Amino acid sequence: MYCGKGGTSVQGQKIKKKPLLERIKRDIRKNYLLYLMLVPGIIILILFKLGPMAGMVIAFEDFSAFKGVFGSKWVGLENFRKIFQDKYMLTLIKNTVTLAFLTIAVTFPFPILFTLFLNEVRISKIRNGVQTLSFLPYFISSAVMVSIIYTLCSPSYGLVNSIIKFFGGDPIYFMTEPGWFRPLYILLQVWQSFGYSSIIYLASILAIDPALYEAAEVDGANRWQKMFQITLPQISGSIIVMLIIKIGGIFSVDLDTILLMYNPSVYEVADVIQSYVYRMAFNSSGFPDYSYGTAVNMVKSIIAFAMVMLTNKIAKKYSETRLF
Amino acid sequence: MKKRAIAVLLAAAITGIMLGGCGNSSQSTGQTAGAAAGTESTETTTGQKTFTMFLRSTFVDWIEELKWYDEAEKRTGVHVEYVKGPDSQNDVYTEIDQRLISGTLTDCTFVKQAQANVYGAQGAFRDLAPLIREYAPNIQKYLDENPEYAALVTNEDGSIYGLMNETPTLAEFCFYRADHFKKAGVDPADIQTVDDFTEALRTLKAFYGKDNPNYYPLCGRERFFRFAAWFDCSSKISETESNGLYYGNVWGPKLGYDIYADNFYHMMETLKMWNDEGLVNPEWVAGSYSEGDWEAAMLNGDCSISSDFYTRPQWFLDNGGKDIDPDFEMAVLDNLKDENGNILKYQTDVLYNETRTTVINAKTSDETAKTIMEFIDYFWGEEGQTLCSWGVEGESYQVVDGKKEFIVDYATEEGKAAGEKKWSFLNDRYTVCKPVDEEAFYAWNGDVVKEAAARLFDEEHLQKAYNIKYTDAQAEEMDRLVAAIGDKIVAELTSFVTNKKELNEANWQSFLDEMTAAGYARAEEIQLEAFRATYGNK
Repeated sequence: MYCGKGGTSVQGQKIKKKPLLERIKRDIRKNYLLYLMLVPGIIILILFKLGPMAGMVIAFEDFSAFKGVFGSKWVGLENFRKIFQDKYMLTLIKNTVTLAFLTIAVTFPFPILFTLFLNEVRISKIRNGVQTLSFLPYFISSAVMVSIIYTLCSPSYGLVNSIIKFFGGDPIYFMTEPGWFRPLYILLQVWQSFGYSSIIYLASILAIDPALYEAAEVDGANRWQKMFQITLPQISGSIIVMLIIKIGGIFSVDLDTILLMYNPSVYEVADVIQSYVYRMAFNSSGFPDYSYGTAVNMVKSIIAFAMVMLTNKIAKKYSETRLF
Repeated sequence: MKKRAIAVLLAAAITGIMLGGCGNSSQSTGQTAGAAAGTESTETTTGQKTFTMFLRSTFVDWIEELKWYDEAEKRTGVHVEYVKGPDSQNDVYTEIDQRLISGTLTDCTFVKQAQANVYGAQGAFRDLAPLIREYAPNIQKYLDENPEYAALVTNEDGSIYGLMNETPTLAEFCFYRADHFKKAGVDPADIQTVDDFTEALRTLKAFYGKDNPNYYPLCGRERFFRFAAWFDCSSKISETESNGLYYGNVWGPKLGYDIYADNFYHMMETLKMWNDEGLVNPEWVAGSYSEGDWEAAMLNGDCSISSDFYTRPQWFLDNGGKDIDPDFEMAVLDNLKDENGNILKYQTDVLYNETRTTVINAKTSDETAKTIMEFIDYFWGEEGQTLCSWGVEGESYQVVDGKKEFIVDYATEEGKAAGEKKWSFLNDRYTVCKPVDEEAFYAWNGDVVKEAAARLFDEEHLQKAYNIKYTDAQAEEMDRLVAAIGDKIVAELTSFVTNKKELNEANWQSFLDEMTAAGYARAEEIQLEAFRATYGNK
């Protein structure tokens, strides 16, 4: 007999649910092998993901590596007070959020469009070849990527400026123009990550029922119509999940790339929360301020979590897909 | 049943492997956790005493190449088991924190002075004062004879948690391609003032720039704002006033200027003029010129003059200069003079390196602590000083008319491949905590540097920089100010020179006001308080 949601039988009679603990026990007895296989994963989750989060308590302490979490002096919300009193924090937040939003706005749709078009390539060898090539930059380190950009954009010998000079233009100091910092940073992000994201979308596309395309063809749909009326809606679930994940990491700009591209001329747009915390915690002449760095990250995480919840709610309201 | 058994075994195996990996894994770069302190000092099969020391990997590599160091271990009967840390110095300090957390710090290590003060007072490091009194007569003598050093390392309660390394007198050299000067008709003797220098830049630009669009007479690496000495606006401190920023090694000689100084605006006008006229490499001004770019420009003739670390002119000679251009010659310019003929002094590095403070782990046994102190003390005595500064008589040096001189060749020894044993006395590198014999230090250099150091590294040409001791609260506030305004200052100055912001009196005053509000003046106040506390109201 099928019971719908709420434990009501098809005849409308209420069936009394057994207590949760008993149900869990029964399920464990029934599927103990599956639960057993779950144990290592659960242990990893607790030890390496949930457990270390307790260490964030140092945001409320004047942490000393020698005294440890339990021996360090408790200072309550002092570090958070310092964050909100820090006159420079507003500039940092502005730079971080601007960079993060622009990055999402460009890096998020790009792999979707790329995948949609790549999927239309009929010759599988070309499609697979392009896919492999697009994935390769994912394995190149930020240091190498930034070096390539520096070399390409050098005003004296770079390829880009050579072309500009060839057409009679003046060389552009790409790496020292504040206006070029964000576009170049985003270009690097797209270059490095779009191949990886497109693989996820391509996997979703492969799972689409071919009958849908056949039916559309019978109805006379052209390739554009199939792309936007069938493929895109069918992978919307993956798109929303990827968007929510991206929003979760909105404050996590790529610090390695930023530090490598950082110079006094682009300081006004390149100094972000992470680079400031790095200077405070690890690059200072004095004693490293781990507690302040943790407090800043905690504030960042709380805001990012709130944004994830909001996006999830919006996704739930306007589509059938959500992350949780 | 068989499948179930396999599944159970698999799950158990995965869990076991995973938990096995959760053990104490304090090893760094291949070293075992056995290097941690807390055990008795052991003796090797040859009867040597040993202790462990965590160090930056580069330093360990250098130490392992030194012939005099091997001799020192032989003579003291002490063998140090070095534990290699990361290559980056900042990462080394972070790993020391991690080793403190996990209780795997070695018997001895070096830390930042701030770490020594804070962790020492909390009980992480041994108080060296009683150990020095008992086992280190040479160090005690040095403390007695150098009250400035004693004040820096001694806490209010008389404890000493770390010993800072002495550094040689170091300052920048302004050096030039002597072959370029000759060909362009520039006589270095004519360069007496900043105006003369500007004229020399113009002459070089006219001569070499006419055929080479990538030629800029002046170039460099890292920071562009390094000419404060030429405009008499280096940072200065005394018991009465604090001008400019001195905080740590980064803020002292590295930034080393006083934006409030009378001449600073004039310096900005001059730097802007150099940039406007194409006399200085614009990428360097803007901050995107890499060390490799700079080296290539000097070697390839895209640049003629630079100002940098004192060893650099010799470096260009030893690293391909003559191979690229047989005429390649380097020389060091005299200090410039002001309009009244007074020599403009370069600021030195601070005398004691606050990022290389030697400490002993509190968990180290008394016997090992004694071994460490005796080992370090050896290098503060006459025999140890001679050994680490000159080597072994008859092998690396000889005494002529009562004066020591090297009999091994600098270029041959320093040119040996990495990992090969050699005589080397580059005492600005960390080997052991010890004072520096300046005569030996400068004697062990290439001819260009040796000559220039003898000519320019004296009181007439150099302005002394001071180590300043900060309280924990002062250090914390300074760190915050440095993080907030340090890069901001450089960025604003750059924008004036590159014409992104117009350099005029109103904009300059607005910049100064902004910096004052952001904490520049407060930083100067803290420095003055700390200076007075360190040295007293002299």
